[in-house]
Amino acid sequence: MTTEAVPHEGVPGRRVPDQVLRVEDLAVHFGGIKAVDGITLGLERGLISGILGPNGSGKSTLLGAVTRLTPLTRGSMYFEDRDFSGVRPEQVARLGIGRTFQTVRLLDDLTVHENVQLGHDLIAGPRRWWRRVDSTERDAAEAAVHTALERTGLDGKEKLRPGQLSYGLQRRVEIARAIVMSPKLLLLDEPTAGMNRFEREEIGRLMSDLRAEGLTQLIVEHDVQMMVDVCDHLFAMNSGQLIASGAPADVVRDPAVREAYLGKQDNDDRDS
Amino acid sequence: MSDFYFSNIVLIQSTFTVLLLALSIQIQFRMGVFSFAGAAFYGMGSYGTAIFVLHYGFDAISATAAIVAICAVTGYLLSLILQRLTGLYLAMATVAFVMIVTVVAHNGGELTGGSVGLFGVLTTPEISVPHLAVVCAVVVAAMIFSERGSMGRRIEAVREDPELASAMGINVARYRRMSFVISGVLGALGGALNILMMTAIAPENIGFPLIVLALTIIIVGGSRSWLGVLIGALIFTWLPVMLEQVGTYQSIVYGIIVAIAAIFMPGGITGVVTDLYRRRAARRDSAALEDEAEAERRADAADDEAAAELGAELAGTGAHSAPTGESR
Repeated sequence: MTTEAVPHEGVPGRRVPDQVLRVEDLAVHFGGIKAVDGITLGLERGLISGILGPNGSGKSTLLGAVTRLTPLTRGSMYFEDRDFSGVRPEQVARLGIGRTFQTVRLLDDLTVHENVQLGHDLIAGPRRWWRRVDSTERDAAEAAVHTALERTGLDGKEKLRPGQLSYGLQRRVEIARAIVMSPKLLLLDEPTAGMNRFEREEIGRLMSDLRAEGLTQLIVEHDVQMMVDVCDHLFAMNSGQLIASGAPADVVRDPAVREAYLGKQDNDDRDS
Repeated sequence: MSDFYFSNIVLIQSTFTVLLLALSIQIQFRMGVFSFAGAAFYGMGSYGTAIFVLHYGFDAISATAAIVAICAVTGYLLSLILQRLTGLYLAMATVAFVMIVTVVAHNGGELTGGSVGLFGVLTTPEISVPHLAVVCAVVVAAMIFSERGSMGRRIEAVREDPELASAMGINVARYRRMSFVISGVLGALGGALNILMMTAIAPENIGFPLIVLALTIIIVGGSRSWLGVLIGALIFTWLPVMLEQVGTYQSIVYGIIVAIAAIFMPGGITGVVTDLYRRRAARRDSAALEDEAEAERRADAADDEAAAELGAELAGTGAHSAPTGESR
């Protein structure tokens, strides 16, 4: 199970779990606002971890910091034991960290197929005009894009543009674009926002399938039931800090988590 | 055909050189870089070639190659200096660069010919329209390549959403630097070929008016594609000639055309055509999806009907009917 990594290190006889990502004392401050303040956590390989927390708790900022799109105030980050705290955002993607965004970010002028192809371009590398792309390479790329579209239920919609799709389908395009990158770690920021119950279940099943294939995932999501159903490990954040970590059922019952979501218990009692 | 060619040879030459000038600015716009440096490179290309030919005795090809290389390096250095600027601030900085080139041309003494400029740039081999056409064809081929496939998608991402582009592993800063280098090459080529055909250059032929011309071409033709730039270059090279009939009102008519294009065709002529095409395709796709959904609904209804019939049959034979609702 996922554990905090730092205290384990250097302790004789204590086994350090195989962690894909480890962040230590991570902080992102915007002026006086401490969006993320001293987070330390690790993600165990092949599992689905989730981050719960009320709006403004710093979940998406944490994902932004991990992908280096948001500058760090302090802290260190390790991907497969390699310190990547100082690398540029595009190098993070090349390390094997794929992501989706809190608000859908697709290229409106490109078709669904082309938007997903953009993700595959990362592993294909930039096309050089002097290098002929052979048919095998082209077929493999096409097959990868097709598989990603099929897995996200987008087959038949390849030629449409994002503007022609519902919000839920646009989310799926983002997920398809991220999984076609063949990442080692997939960060999903509210992947089921705007989807109905059945669509959420489908995405939950897709996540489970990806886990079965060994893909490590970190999900930020408001749907607590889905997080409990899908995740192997949960982190809870509030006001930029980690307030709980552990098995999903334990974390959602944690008094600190309930307080963060619902307010102080004695207030509730008084109200009732 | 040959009569038309010889009587309009200057306009044909101008179309090609103006195309290169406009492409030198449009390529930066396509990468989300709001820069007018291409106009400065065009001026540098014209003056540089004239200086190499008149003062140093270069032939046409060597002079062109030298100034293209110089402008490419200048473009790269400029990109490093301006890398932290975006939007209007970047635009203003590059306008200043264009002004600097103009001021240097004015005050360059014997080297640039001062306010009179340089003339008599005659070279062997003589550069003619077919040479220009070949250069433009190569440039357009490169532009077509850059608009297609993975390169096209990457450039689209860099322009529309640099943060997303970074998350997709694209080095946005490198693309921006590259845009300055390409702008340097295209601008210098346009300027060099212009002076080699026209044989004279003066400070009033470069500078701010070139920015206005290129911007007009890009706005009316469309900034997303080389084709828009070509259409714009054709219109604005030939339009003034066609408007000669309206005499002194020429500038007013010209201005009205630009204003109408800017207000009613924000994507330019190519933008309008693309929109129409996409709307038609969208209607077709929606109809196909609706047909598909209708077919699915019919299939579901047929299944339900068959299940109901089977249930009735089973009930008739005294067997227990299967539950009709989902067991969820």
